[in-house]
Amino acid sequence: MSVPRLQFVGISKLFPAVRALSDVSFSVGAGEIHGLLGENGAGKSTLLRILSGVYRPTAGSVLIDGKPVTLANPVAARAAGVAMIHQELQQVPRLSVAQNMFLGHPLTRGGIFVARREQERRAAEALAAIDPSIDPAAPLGTLKVAQRQIVEIARALLDRARIVAMDEPTSSLTPSEFERLAEVITGLARDGVAVVYVSHKLDEVFGICQRATIMRDGVVVDSVDLASLSEKAVVAMMVGRELAQEHHNSHASGEVMLSVRGLASATKVRDVSFDLHRGEVLGIAGLVGSGRTELLRLLAGVDRASAGTIAIDGKATRFSSPRDAIAAGIGLVPEERKREGIVPLRSITSNMALASMGVFAPRGVIDHTRLKRVAAEKMSRVNLRPFLLDRPIRLFSGGNQQKAIIGRWLSAGTRILLFDEPTRGIDVGAKAEIYHLIEELAAEGHSVIVVSSELPEVIRLADRVLVMRDGTIAAELDRNDISEPAIAAHAIPQTQTPAARPARH
Amino acid sequence: MSDTTLVQPRTEFLRGFSMRDAGTLIGLVVILVVFGALVPGFFAERNLINILQQSSINACLALGMTLVIISGGIDLSVGPTAALSAVISASMLVAGVPFPLAIAAGFAIGLACGLVNGLLVAYVGLQPFIVTLGTLSTYRALALIYTGGNPVLGLPTSFRAIFNGSLFGLPLAVIIVAGVAVIAWIVLKKTPFGEYLLAVGGNEEAAYIAGVPIARTKIAAYMISGLLAALAAQILVGRLGAAEPILGNLWELDAIAAAAIGGASLMGGKGSVVGTILGAVILGAMRNGLTLMNVQSFYQLLATGLIILAAMLIDRVTRGRG
Repeated sequence: MSVPRLQFVGISKLFPAVRALSDVSFSVGAGEIHGLLGENGAGKSTLLRILSGVYRPTAGSVLIDGKPVTLANPVAARAAGVAMIHQELQQVPRLSVAQNMFLGHPLTRGGIFVARREQERRAAEALAAIDPSIDPAAPLGTLKVAQRQIVEIARALLDRARIVAMDEPTSSLTPSEFERLAEVITGLARDGVAVVYVSHKLDEVFGICQRATIMRDGVVVDSVDLASLSEKAVVAMMVGRELAQEHHNSHASGEVMLSVRGLASATKVRDVSFDLHRGEVLGIAGLVGSGRTELLRLLAGVDRASAGTIAIDGKATRFSSPRDAIAAGIGLVPEERKREGIVPLRSITSNMALASMGVFAPRGVIDHTRLKRVAAEKMSRVNLRPFLLDRPIRLFSGGNQQKAIIGRWLSAGTRILLFDEPTRGIDVGAKAEIYHLIEELAAEGHSVIVVSSELPEVIRLADRVLVMRDGTIAAELDRNDISEPAIAAHAIPQTQTPAARPARH
Repeated sequence: MSDTTLVQPRTEFLRGFSMRDAGTLIGLVVILVVFGALVPGFFAERNLINILQQSSINACLALGMTLVIISGGIDLSVGPTAALSAVISASMLVAGVPFPLAIAAGFAIGLACGLVNGLLVAYVGLQPFIVTLGTLSTYRALALIYTGGNPVLGLPTSFRAIFNGSLFGLPLAVIIVAGVAVIAWIVLKKTPFGEYLLAVGGNEEAAYIAGVPIARTKIAAYMISGLLAALAAQILVGRLGAAEPILGNLWELDAIAAAAIGGASLMGGKGSVVGTILGAVILGAMRNGLTLMNVQSFYQLLATGLIILAAMLIDRVTRGRG
């Protein structure tokens, strides 16, 4: 057997008080696309940071083509042939595609002047192999996210990378964009590059990887051949137990909690009408850009409606800020948790109490004894882990941050919860917990709206589904009619306009 | 599941604020020890009280500055706000207006200056740096125009006694500012407004969606800063017995320095009342020590700059894993 392109041998990484990686060993062959799987906190990111020279391992070594390499810093890692493609792209939008591809080591004439033409010519060569439609002189900011990913890959080609590590490359791509990216990655492998592919989306990993290494709590559980395993078996290895197959339970009553008529916004939403019942979980499906998020923002008072009415318990209300909506019993769990959900430096307790500060300070001064008691109660209810209420929320995993935001609304006495992509960026174990929690909330008489792009999620949770298209409700599906084909049929515009057709190359 | 097994409890280690405050305190002790060794009589009771008195005006401003910085803003207009408040209040006193009324008018000017800053930041959506840079010049100009550029002299001596007196052997100014510090600490640690400040500065979008009254919180922060600038003005006028329209020149920089040394982040969302007070005393002690050593003022400026840079460097290094 030939020498593997990339080998991790006994890698350990200690942080103060934390052992992030413990004796991690596995190898990736040349031309192999190797999945790296595990829940948040399993150590995948730490391992990638070691590979890309950001961290030094405490013990163990990295071998490339059988030779030990010292990846002392990102420049050294790059010189050793490692290219890292980050989840959040590290590019400069105002510079051109070519300038971005040569960022940090520009081609020069005489060491002084940047050789722009030459850069663009070489960039075009690299791009030609994978996506000739990208203009190397165009400002990077004018490209779509998928194309920007491809630019990153072209940059790796330019660097003659032998190893490409990709961290959640598809988190913001549409399915057709993923297909395109998958072709490019497969092409890389065909040319002998070893690809390490990190993703939460198991179907993608099964689609393009031959083998995968599964990590849990900083150790390697196993390196497996994906062809011989089911997704379920892999999930069980990731979380360390079988996840029970969840069944849908309905708690909807006939009582109308929220009644929306003719609701519209200045831009994205038009003429939306529906009722939400007590104890009901209402799913909202639709393509990205169909107005789902915008509808939730209107209901939560974040944006102002331009027309229409919202009535709660039969009483018409008007929201000029989220404060009004919260007072009326509506709370939003936003999609972009980092940007719109958490205050990163503050504790779990402070983040939880943010929407109900007045309740904890009836006489102007916060009653910390009571606040701590309520925080402990709500956070054990949502099963926060680790159970450290004073710890800054930024140090928690996405799933636990989400639990704290849910706790925020529980503590504020919210009756109508609006979830926008409730499990985006959350690992499988925590996902099941969030589903459970949503169901429990409904059982207690809360009304819930769940906007989700993941159809299995909608099907798992929703008593009823509204399908949105072009800013309005295209169809309403009862529990018995909910299926992926039914949702898809209504979500995709029948008369395909050029703008609405999924991008093809 | 994900975090439990490997992450040992490290809450004690992460009690951020108090750890940071301890660091500032160590910095102060080091400075005191150094000057104590170099300057005979540095530790004399009289000199220590002097240091506190000399730090009190900056501490007063820095407390307001800390709240504004925590909210994600900055207030460059504190010096001119103080000057405007001082000349108006002083000219009322000279004209024979009763003390409480004249002092209240001075405070009202401070609040009004802060209100203008706050409205422009919160409702017009201008950047705090630019807004207060503009009002820095505007308020200063108003003070100069109002007085024709001349100091307001001839304040009643009985007025001077109010802010220049002492109680239990401590200057009244020190006691007043200590009282303000206690109130500021309570506000930041124990009231919804304090939580709102930290949330608005820490993540405005998230705070908005969680129902925090963003505009009110920001405006209140600037008004408090203006009010404390007016208080600092009264203390200074009491001490000098005159109000100059140019008083408070560059006060904003000392106030920002004290807040930053004390751990406030200009990115917002982070800051400490205890730290700011310690920061103000560090600056005061250093200046006092250098003056006693007859060090030229050029070098005092140099030392101030180096202390700020050193504090930021230590901050950066100790915060470590970013």
